Amino acid sequence: MSDVILELKNLQKWFPVRRNMTQVLKGERNWVKAVDGISLKINRGEIFGLIGESGCGKTTTGKLIMKLLEPTAGQMIFKGKDVTYLDKEALSEHKRNVQMIFQDPYASMNPRFKAREVLTEPLLIHDIGGSRTARGEMAAKALEEVKLTPPEEFLDRYAHMLSGGQRQRIATARTLILSPSFIVADEPVSMIDLSTRAEILQMMKDVQKDLGLTYLYITHDLSTARYFTDRIAVMYLGKIVEMGSVDEVVDNTKHPYTKALISAVCEPVSGKVNKMKEIPIKGEIPSAADIPPGCRFHPRCIYAESECWEKEEPELEEVEAGHLVACRRYKEIT
Amino acid sequence: MDNRVLDVKNLKLYYFTSKGTVHGVDDVTFHVNEGETLGVVGESGCGKTSLGTALLNMPTPPGKIIDGQIIVDGKDILQLSESSVRKHIRWEKISMVFQGAMNCLTPVYSIEKIMLETLRQHRDGRDNQAYERIKKYVNLVGLSDDVLKRYPHELSGGMKQRIVIAMALFLEPKVVICDEPTTALDVVVQAQIINLLKELKTKLGLSFIFITHDLATEAEVSDRIMVMYAGQVAEIGTNEQIYGSQGSAHPYTQNLLAATPRLHKKIEKLDFIPGTPPDLLDPPSGCRFHLRCPVVMDRCKKEVPPLKEIESGHMAACWRCY
Amino acid sequence: MSVNFDTPPGDKGSGLPVSRFSKISDWKSALCEFWKEFRTVKYGVIGLILLLGFVLVIVFQPFIIPFPDAGEHWKDITYWENNPRNAAPIWVNWFRSEDGAVHEFLREPEWAVKETSRFTQINGSFTYNYQYDLPPSEFTFKALGKGNITLQVELERPDGEVINVLKKSIRSNKESEVHIPLGNELNREAYNFAKRYDNKGNISSVDSSLVKPFNIIFARAQEGILTNPEPLKGEYQIRINAVALGSSAYLNDPYLIAHGRVFGLLGTDRSKRDLWSGVVTGTRWAMLIGLLTALVSVAVGVIFGVTASYYGGWVDSFMMRVFEVFVSIPLLPVLIVMSALYKPSIWNLIIMMCIFFWTGPVRTVRSMGLQIKEETYIEAAHALDASDSRIIFKHMIPQLIPYAFASMALRVPTAIVYEASISLLGLGDASIVTWGQILHDAMNNGAVLQGLWWWVIPPGLTIALMGMTFAFIGFSMDRILNPKLKTR
Repeated sequence: MSDVILELKNLQKWFPVRRNMTQVLKGERNWVKAVDGISLKINRGEIFGLIGESGCGKTTTGKLIMKLLEPTAGQMIFKGKDVTYLDKEALSEHKRNVQMIFQDPYASMNPRFKAREVLTEPLLIHDIGGSRTARGEMAAKALEEVKLTPPEEFLDRYAHMLSGGQRQRIATARTLILSPSFIVADEPVSMIDLSTRAEILQMMKDVQKDLGLTYLYITHDLSTARYFTDRIAVMYLGKIVEMGSVDEVVDNTKHPYTKALISAVCEPVSGKVNKMKEIPIKGEIPSAADIPPGCRFHPRCIYAESECWEKEEPELEEVEAGHLVACRRYKEIT
Repeated sequence: MDNRVLDVKNLKLYYFTSKGTVHGVDDVTFHVNEGETLGVVGESGCGKTSLGTALLNMPTPPGKIIDGQIIVDGKDILQLSESSVRKHIRWEKISMVFQGAMNCLTPVYSIEKIMLETLRQHRDGRDNQAYERIKKYVNLVGLSDDVLKRYPHELSGGMKQRIVIAMALFLEPKVVICDEPTTALDVVVQAQIINLLKELKTKLGLSFIFITHDLATEAEVSDRIMVMYAGQVAEIGTNEQIYGSQGSAHPYTQNLLAATPRLHKKIEKLDFIPGTPPDLLDPPSGCRFHLRCPVVMDRCKKEVPPLKEIESGHMAACWRCY
Repeated sequence: MSVNFDTPPGDKGSGLPVSRFSKISDWKSALCEFWKEFRTVKYGVIGLILLLGFVLVIVFQPFIIPFPDAGEHWKDITYWENNPRNAAPIWVNWFRSEDGAVHEFLREPEWAVKETSRFTQINGSFTYNYQYDLPPSEFTFKALGKGNITLQVELERPDGEVINVLKKSIRSNKESEVHIPLGNELNREAYNFAKRYDNKGNISSVDSSLVKPFNIIFARAQEGILTNPEPLKGEYQIRINAVALGSSAYLNDPYLIAHGRVFGLLGTDRSKRDLWSGVVTGTRWAMLIGLLTALVSVAVGVIFGVTASYYGGWVDSFMMRVFEVFVSIPLLPVLIVMSALYKPSIWNLIIMMCIFFWTGPVRTVRSMGLQIKEETYIEAAHALDASDSRIIFKHMIPQLIPYAFASMALRVPTAIVYEASISLLGLGDASIVTWGQILHDAMNNGAVLQGLWWWVIPPGLTIALMGMTFAFIGFSMDRILNPKLKTR
């Protein structure tokens, strides 16, 4: 039984919406509820996927975990300690332990920095290494870890002199150099060519095994998630609707939204050209400033009944071993 | 027998930059039949977007089409004058949905105004007729009339993409080129747009050229598929020939398919192709894929393999395939 | 394990090995690398050469100008009194067919002194060999004299004609310098002389007060002497006959100055100041004013703008209000008030310019900063727990260095010209000479209208040249510091 490295309890992040004069005078306040109370547990050494479409709150969750944003409510427990609100020193330590790989490998590195400077910057910030030589050695080691060898070849290059895959390796090396325990990867391969994607993912998996890391893998691409992750949580409009091992969630889907997502995914197989895709979903995603009452998915759900919008929002419940769903009617839908 | 709406022969588009000549599209030959979707698939830098702009005779400067034929309705549009192309060909016979077009709708005009302006570039009609036509096509792409009075920022990504598609259709061209129409969209919206394209294809008898880098999307949309690599055609085949159980012919296509993750199949280890696509300033000799090909032969390094038919309707450019 | 084929297209590898450096050799190698790159950018090297030229001029200033104290004495007329007025540069003679007379000192004349008990009689004679086409603009007789002296000066031409130049009395109780310009009242005399030879038409067309006496005196005695004089070349005698009353009166160390039409490397201005000395002396001030103002104002402005954009919120609002206060204060009235209160000095001027010039880059830098702030690598730096100052100074400001350099380069000539305008209003530092001052004297004295191009063009050219120098250096540094422009 592996222990839990990160636990989120009803984590919330609401952004205030700009008000006009009448609203200010009336005392009304509107919120964009980007993350509206999510709870999950991530075990040490696993790859946990956070799936959802744009606007569902997955990137915001990642930033909350990184402490680039402060939560509006809820709790975050990392390695057994409550890290919801941290003072400067504890924050610094937290940021050493939790690192991020960004989506755009080119934009995430200062274009005026050589690879060497990109890699040694975390060391300088946290005052590790002591001398230029020592830091250079640590940078070289990090490059070896991500299989960019020989390191000397790459240390003096700028970002625009490297391919997308190489840049993402350097970004990964940068996260590793502080020996973190937890890495948040936000769509790390979506901007990389298909033929290189697998290579980068393989590298990330190798690194994980070597160093015993835990990943939070944020993506909208279910197919890649299937390949890469161990467990996933599907988010919709700021809440988790389904959570479990990736095989369970994909093969034994319970939530209507997850069903819709899965049916919408394209597969590279023949014979589908002349068929229309059946997507069991209605309408459009509502704004996060205007969340529907009851089950927030009900306006788009083809199985919705009156209880879905009259009663209060369904909680995430464990319906099978390790498989959680937030839906009242999951049993009745196929 | 196939009825060809578009016939492209030996098309060459080169970019004349200060660093040298980039062989963007290098001797590409293919055709599109009536009522079918031809998918053009390849990685970044393979020339698919250049191909799209070339088909409208609008290469992005410093690009120039230096060779080849593009035959639409019996006429080679490369031989026509610019004004003739603008009047009779672009948007009338061939139109295009550009990559990221949905983000290029002028934010200060209403949808109605944007569409009317485009329409008026090509047809003078009295206001009534133009407005009716616009309404018709907006409905055709699945949107209600009140969208017309709104502004682009009020619409979702999916709705904007539908508007752009409507604009590509409303002059009733024969061929519509779509460059990555679904890449920036969410999964569900993507599926809805794909459905829309399929619907339009049958309803209006259109032909589509669907350009994307995503093999999975291509499989669900295209009747025939053209795989491009480094500015050249690697393989052309029907959906069944490329994606079917037999497997495709060209090693590049095979490896690309093996590198695509699957949702309904548990894959232990994904293949990848080592290296990166070549620099088109100085393309490799012989077959351009030979540096990364797992089954490379000596011949591949020296001689450029021609695009030959290996079975009915299935062409490949690979020394191993014939 | 797969072999790594990952090479970016077209790149043949950097080829630079990483070895272990200690801090000092780190810097040395960084500098060497920088220099290697800088060398390849042609206009950067040109800029550097020009800069070196300016620096050499500043360093060797006392050695290359004939009037080393030009700076301190720029407003002192007596310092320059031996120079010709409005003289063109010497090298002009090489380019035109008419040679202007060269500035000459005629020393050691024949000097006969006869002393009696009641008076001293002096008879002196200077020989002036005139071989030019344009005669001197003036002659000055200089000596050391004491007592009550009456002088009479006459000039004998090579053709035998004698012209009475002047009669003058001077009186001084102790030894003082005698300084007598000979051409002051010569107009009538010269005109009358010309009347004897020229035709009626020319005579009536020229007014006696408008003649240039020496043009006539040194011309052939013939028709057209008033309107189109031909030079009479040869030996001229200038005789000084003086009578000094009293036995203790004397006239010693006499010499005659023939004020040339040409003088020095850059000629002279209306106040007889040697412009070459002026321009050279002005170099150091130009460099100082330009560089210091540009550097300080851009540095302050950039840091201010970036900080405001980085913090946003009320910090930004507050800083922008401060900025707006400074921007709305007009510099000139403030300077006028300042000069009423304090002695106008160049340092005060520089300080004031810095205090107001920093506002220049702020708006642009702030908007650039707002864009940079949203970049992903800034977010990544936050994720790494980088401090605010680290993000500002290591991530944001380096992106602005190209703009900063361009701004600096363009500010240098602005500062120089601004100082010149200040000098125009009399608010400038009177104890030093700057290019701007020279230019404004030229403007005030109608130099262009009078055709005194050597007064206007050199200082203007040097201002432009210095601006160009910094522009070249600035842009080439950007080529190096902006890695995206590297082609390696």
